[in-house]
Amino acid sequence: MATRDRSLQYHIQMKAGDVGRYVFVPGDPGRCEKIAAYFDNPVHVAQNREYNTYTGTLLGAKVSVTSTGIGCPSTAIAIEELSRIGADTFIRVGTSGAMQEHILAGDLGVVTAAIRDEGTSLHYLPIEFPAVADIDVVLALQEGARRVGAPYHLGISHSKDSFFGQHEPERMPIASQLQERWKAWMAGGAICSEMEASTLFIVSSVLRKRAGGIMMIAGHPDQRPMTDEELARCDLDLLLRAAIEGLKVLIEQDRANQPAALAEQMHHA
Amino acid sequence: MHDANLQYHVQLGPGDVGRYVLLPGDPGRCEKIAAYFDNPVHIASNREYTTYTGTLLGEKVSVTSTGIGGPSAAIAVEELAKLEVDTFIRVGTAGGMQPFCRPGDLAIVTGAIRDEGTSLHYMPIEFPAVANLQVVSALRQAAQRVGARAHLGISQSKDSFYGEIEPARMPVAPRLQRRWKAWVDGGAICSEMEAATIFIVASVLGKRAGGVMFMGGSTIMSQEEYAALAATLTLDQLIQTAVEAVKILIEQDRGRS
Repeated sequence: MATRDRSLQYHIQMKAGDVGRYVFVPGDPGRCEKIAAYFDNPVHVAQNREYNTYTGTLLGAKVSVTSTGIGCPSTAIAIEELSRIGADTFIRVGTSGAMQEHILAGDLGVVTAAIRDEGTSLHYLPIEFPAVADIDVVLALQEGARRVGAPYHLGISHSKDSFFGQHEPERMPIASQLQERWKAWMAGGAICSEMEASTLFIVSSVLRKRAGGIMMIAGHPDQRPMTDEELARCDLDLLLRAAIEGLKVLIEQDRANQPAALAEQMHHA
Repeated sequence: MHDANLQYHVQLGPGDVGRYVLLPGDPGRCEKIAAYFDNPVHIASNREYTTYTGTLLGEKVSVTSTGIGGPSAAIAVEELAKLEVDTFIRVGTAGGMQPFCRPGDLAIVTGAIRDEGTSLHYMPIEFPAVANLQVVSALRQAAQRVGARAHLGISQSKDSFYGEIEPARMPVAPRLQRRWKAWVDGGAICSEMEAATIFIVASVLGKRAGGVMFMGGSTIMSQEEYAALAATLTLDQLIQTAVEAVKILIEQDRGRS
């Protein structure tokens, strides 16, 4: 490999100016191009490891999409490095497993907070600290889901380190613990299970950035396979359109609030 | 003698409370809060649980004190939920944790640090103690209407009051001080003693909960400066904000049904 350019962030291979303040963070690098297709004038900016980035505009504001890869360790790196080059608003867009029987395959989940069932966020804050999404991002994503007419649920996501510990718990040495805890999360009202939200929220809290997430929910809490009809209901485009609409709502709000925010800053100064 | 029709600790029966209940810690504060209701009536007092019921916008609403701490707060929420309460708003005092939290500012709690023991009897520690979004939004709108300076954010819910106020004299002083710094660095805005338990119990019971706190103390003033300022502060805006939020929720709930 060629020598590294020191002006670039180590893993994401980008510098200030390469991304907007608003960044979508899907898990899958292969999904970035699809999301960027909803931007105006999308440009492919960088690709290194699982980090793939496109930048374009929405309502004239610079916006980006950077994949995080699967799991919290690579997500924390993405958020840290994106923050250093000017990003201050992160929206996770991805897929997740259903945790309530009343949720239908293909429904959307607007994540308000996350269960910290992972190891990375412990490197930032003790476990008692809640992983919570920013309320303005949550409200904007809720409005985005409404605008595209998507059925959605607001609620808590389960963020786990082990995909197969969730999908095939019975074959794990700690099966009974995995099953008992899954049952507790369900009883607590969690709506979906994925692998990055809690770290996204905790790292954003520590860095004083805004974060939220919108997920497509598929599958069933008891892990039984989906029917063909259920599979057909899983429309990823609906998720992406809701996320894009949500970000537009946020951009408009930020513009409307700008004078107030400036006054507030001066107030504190 | 115990009346079997009454909930064991709060000593309330069916019909005694509305679906909306304000939850201060201090039983002595219930009467002041109830003064903002229409036609408030004192319903019951037992141990640290005092209850008044009245109306707002023609809807039955109540205030029940929880006493200090997660253990007694969990009991209050459980027994009130059995009486068909579905919306809980904690109203109380807290210590400010950030330099921008000025004495008398309000904290609208979005989530809570589970630095307590009670909620572990309900959910593993990884589960977040979060307020209901509708309640948070209503409180935010209410604070604007009242003209109160309010901050949205995370509260530290602790079991030990003096562990926070006088950590240096505790045998576990280094741990208390290290963790306090982590909460501040994580952005927590205030410290109190019931929010985390109320949020977790409400989540498990499928009820809505939120909280608004009056922030006392100061991370930047001297004790003398603070004492002089504190003498001029009242809890009026805190109570008005909570009451206004209940009205907003009542209107929203009517629009929905």
